[in-house]
Amino acid sequence: MARVRQLVLSWEAGLVVLTVLIVIIGQSADHDLISSFNLQTTALNNVILLCLALGVAPVIMTGDIDLSVVGTLALSGVVMGDLMSHGMATGLAIAIGLGIALVCGLINGLLVVLFDLPALAVTLGTMGAYTGISFLILGGLAITTFPNSVVSLGSSNLTGTQIPFCVVVVLVIAVIMAYLVHFTTWGKSLFAVGGSRKAALFSGIAVNRVRIITFVISGFLAGFAGLLFLGNYETAQAGMGASELLPAITAVILGGVSAYGGTGTIPGVVIAAVLLALLQSALGLHGFSGQGQTMAVGFLLIIAIGAPPLARSARDWWRRRHAGVVEIASAVTGESKGGSAGSGEAVRSTAVN
Amino acid sequence: MSTSELISDVASRPARRGRVSTLVRRSDTALIALIVLITLVATATLSDFRTLSNINNLLNTTALIAIVAIGEAVVILARQIDLSVGAILGICAYLVGSWSGHVSGPFGPVVGVLLALGLGAAFGLGNALLINVFKMPAIIATLATLSIYTGLQIIVNNGSQLYLTQVPKWLAGLRGNAWFGIGTFIWIAAIVLVVVTFILRRTRFGRDIYALGSNPDAAVYLGVKIRVRTYQIFALCGALAGLGGLLYTSQFGNVDATAGNGMNLTVIAAAVVGGVSLFGGAGTALSAVLGALLLGEIQNILELTRISIFAEQTLQGAAIVIAVAVYAVVSRRLRRPVRREAFLSEHPTIDPAAIDAIGGTTNG
Amino acid sequence: MSDQRSSNVNDNATAPVVELRGIKRSFGGLQALSGVSMTLRRGEIVGLLGENGAGKSTLVKILTGVLEPDGGQILVDGDIRRVSNPRVARELGIAATYQEPAVFPDLDVAENLFAGRQPTRRGIIDWGAMYEKAEEVFREIGVDLDPHAPVYQLGIADRQIIEIAKSLISGARVLILDEPTSVLSSREVDSLFILLNSLRERGISLVFVSHKLDEVKAITDRVVVLRDGTLVAEKPTSDVSVSELVQMMCGRAIGDLYPSLTRVAGDTILEVQNLTRRGYFQNVSFTLRRGEILGLAGLVGAGRTELAEAIFGVSLADSGSMSLDGIPYTAVSPRHAVRVGIAYLPEDRLTNGLVMGMRVPFNMTMTVWGRIANRFGRFRTRIMYRQSAELAQRVQLQAGRLNQLTSSLSGGNQQKVVLGKWLATEPRILILDEPTHGIDVGTKAEVLGIVAELAATGVAVIFISSELEEVRAMSTRLLVMREGSIVAEFTTPVDAHVVLEAASGVVAKQDS
Repeated sequence: MARVRQLVLSWEAGLVVLTVLIVIIGQSADHDLISSFNLQTTALNNVILLCLALGVAPVIMTGDIDLSVVGTLALSGVVMGDLMSHGMATGLAIAIGLGIALVCGLINGLLVVLFDLPALAVTLGTMGAYTGISFLILGGLAITTFPNSVVSLGSSNLTGTQIPFCVVVVLVIAVIMAYLVHFTTWGKSLFAVGGSRKAALFSGIAVNRVRIITFVISGFLAGFAGLLFLGNYETAQAGMGASELLPAITAVILGGVSAYGGTGTIPGVVIAAVLLALLQSALGLHGFSGQGQTMAVGFLLIIAIGAPPLARSARDWWRRRHAGVVEIASAVTGESKGGSAGSGEAVRSTAVN
Repeated sequence: MSTSELISDVASRPARRGRVSTLVRRSDTALIALIVLITLVATATLSDFRTLSNINNLLNTTALIAIVAIGEAVVILARQIDLSVGAILGICAYLVGSWSGHVSGPFGPVVGVLLALGLGAAFGLGNALLINVFKMPAIIATLATLSIYTGLQIIVNNGSQLYLTQVPKWLAGLRGNAWFGIGTFIWIAAIVLVVVTFILRRTRFGRDIYALGSNPDAAVYLGVKIRVRTYQIFALCGALAGLGGLLYTSQFGNVDATAGNGMNLTVIAAAVVGGVSLFGGAGTALSAVLGALLLGEIQNILELTRISIFAEQTLQGAAIVIAVAVYAVVSRRLRRPVRREAFLSEHPTIDPAAIDAIGGTTNG
Repeated sequence: MSDQRSSNVNDNATAPVVELRGIKRSFGGLQALSGVSMTLRRGEIVGLLGENGAGKSTLVKILTGVLEPDGGQILVDGDIRRVSNPRVARELGIAATYQEPAVFPDLDVAENLFAGRQPTRRGIIDWGAMYEKAEEVFREIGVDLDPHAPVYQLGIADRQIIEIAKSLISGARVLILDEPTSVLSSREVDSLFILLNSLRERGISLVFVSHKLDEVKAITDRVVVLRDGTLVAEKPTSDVSVSELVQMMCGRAIGDLYPSLTRVAGDTILEVQNLTRRGYFQNVSFTLRRGEILGLAGLVGAGRTELAEAIFGVSLADSGSMSLDGIPYTAVSPRHAVRVGIAYLPEDRLTNGLVMGMRVPFNMTMTVWGRIANRFGRFRTRIMYRQSAELAQRVQLQAGRLNQLTSSLSGGNQQKVVLGKWLATEPRILILDEPTHGIDVGTKAEVLGIVAELAATGVAVIFISSELEEVRAMSTRLLVMREGSIVAEFTTPVDAHVVLEAASGVVAKQDS
């Protein structure tokens, strides 16, 4: 019974409710929201965002951050496109592109973990560097012809159905990620490292290895997202995918992953991505421009991160008014109440498992 | 020996002077030397570099970036970050450019500048609001506002762009003007540099910024009003971004919905390369200017030598990573205070014989 | 160390600056302070003594406004005041400095002194005046520091001086120094004492909280001794000897709290030779035998935790060697240490011992997650629950606590989880660092009983504790560390005062 209650009150359940709400409101406003055509288009438009989010989520769970995913996407996408346009075998080109993505992630991991540099700064820099290299390779050109296999991966449907192939692929990736994060030891280590890096270290967990692996996975999935981009939009150009950074991070945070690490779920990220997709679609059908949709995503990020602490302060204020003097328990444990950004506890109060 | 004798004994010794040069001041001189060196080499070897139009262009662009970088530096000094400066610049570029056309006469420039500063500050306050009220970390808050402000930018542009002809004459001509032989952009940048340096050095506000960046918990404990300061810091950064927008309109004439895109990385790179530590508490406005100069020059040279006009982002990205790594390594070396100097050998009270007498044993 | 006290005799007619009357404070079921009364007068240095857990830090927290008392009154200048938060305390002129000085490393010395209250002239900061005033203050109190120096260049001793000077400038009349000398060398201690004396002559009331009895004897005018939350003695320093102080602090004979120990003469399992880590410990050599509990006593800052961390692989020693069962052992990482059978229960339970956001079973089995996974890396939750239930039994953790959030457990139960986590690794060597810190008496007895049983089965235990009674009762053999070196070795039972004297470096002279 307790577990059912926990499930019902969970963040993910709230997301599902919100999604359903959006569907209901959207559908009644513009009757096309859940038409198969629209769902197809929406899905195609958002697989890349989900793919990126699946890679970034573990990084944030361990308490780091990776802003460079869009740079890796651009770089590997451009490399793949360039190689393919010069006649290289598709399989080989893809392998090279994904390999480069792995290296990009590895570089991030080494810089942040082994050199002990702040992840924010490093991935901000590598984002620029990787995107920049894509510019160096392709300049202002765009590649628009791709082998059929790539295009069908990106745009066509699963044979006999209306479901786009890439959606299935990404959902499979999501399942794999969910397995890795929630059912393997490595996944448990993620939460330990994110919850308290020192305690994890003192318990014999290979903290450095765990962190580096998250960066490598993030890079790899960014590269894969690049491949999907090629098939989806049938374009390769320098700096592609840059606009996906904000939605990807929003999906992760909205999905319940704390910005400080230690909590979150992969299903939550998936639901959040779906929510975002439907929201943008509904807004689009209702006449909002692409940029208007992005703005909405921005607002949603603010609400996702800001609402829980606001709700908590509001609840505390309410309690204090009605309960008389309340002992300031934090003084006992000696916590310091810093107001600076970056200090403080996890946003979510629900436990990990 | 009585206490007073001891005190006078201590006071009579020559004062221990700490090394005067701080980490940042040493990096300033190194940067200036580097910039001078590169300038000399480029002037000697690249004929395209030496042309008046190139120098003018370079200085104007650098001045613009420097102004926004100074604002970003202020934010970074307080251990925050602002990813939305590019969008703020873009919106202000459009709005100030079109609105100031309505004010004619000699007050035009004044109104224009005030408008740019005020509008930019307002957007900056929006950032601070998210950080203070919604308790968002600056990186995510400004990531969100980046998209929101960019969206606003597109809405405001409404599908078209601002044309040079719509921009008031004083603004359009600003780029070409020169006062006492030096371009107006450079004057403006210089004024901003002096003013911000003054603020950082001579006002409580400025010193609070350093305190917040150096040790936020101690700062709050000592009574620094962190929320108020956060509003002020981001407002200042936004205002300078707005001013940059004003200059942008003058520089490029046509302002469309992509104005300012990519500026974020550029100004952060400029500040970081110039020596503003991303951990906060170290750096000056001059650091941002020097960083902008250095990066701008390298960028210019790369373009002229046809190495690539597309090297910009790579350069900036790599510069950030390198600067962060170098700063981390150097400051770790400098910051290690020796824990203890003298140990047991200097301590006169341990008497091994006496310990033996009690019945214990001594080791070491 | 020469006697640093000034020749000024304290004027008994001086009105008290701060008076504590009948201060009571409890945490949960634990009564930390039961009716402590104390007076602080102008121009005197009062030593506050007591073992760990005696209530010193609670008293300091109440004085500085971090905590409020449950009962009793605080009077400042004769008026009853409510010191409800640190800001109020500061405004009343009560300041404290701790072992880790809170300074702004990137700013220079002068600015650190005047942080938040920089001198201004017509609204803008007057740097000239700031440097001048800094030099003036330093001259007055006899300190030799360059106001222009950036603080990140300065060592801890100088940073401490800055903190002290800073509180002076902001008008502190009562300055509490919490274990100020534990991180200082003897030369730095001398300088600090010169400073403290000059402060005293300026009328500041100083509270010197310390375990270092020789220093307390040297610098204080009066001593106040706490034991188990009550004030057991208050005397002029010249009227007590060190051994009397020890007696007052340690008090009773060893009670029923402690389990009986089986003395097993096992073979050597760990040999440490000349282990050195510059700045923390040097030339540490000792052997550890199977089945023995090797106590490691010493004062705060003696280097025991750093030594343990070096053995466990958290930090690297600079030189020296170790061998396990005769095989050379280099401590590379905690992971490696766990693999060779070394376990370490860290001093700071909350930061280093447990991941607070995870539930008990996860914390309890964290060290053996690798074993809980199957061949493909799948984490078998059922096995985890089973293991954690078994471990819970071994550490006597009640079943109801089993799937809770670790953060909701009491300190004692949390420590049991940490202990359980280490038992899970079936270690050959178990290092315990202040294992009963912040734990209620009942749980303490249980934990210590488990440790004794463990040793009886052949596990080698290193027991680090600052509580004299505990470390003497729980060890079969006792090493004493002081300022980074091992200075004495005793076989137990051994008298408390002997250990304390070795730990504080005071030689046992007949009196005073």
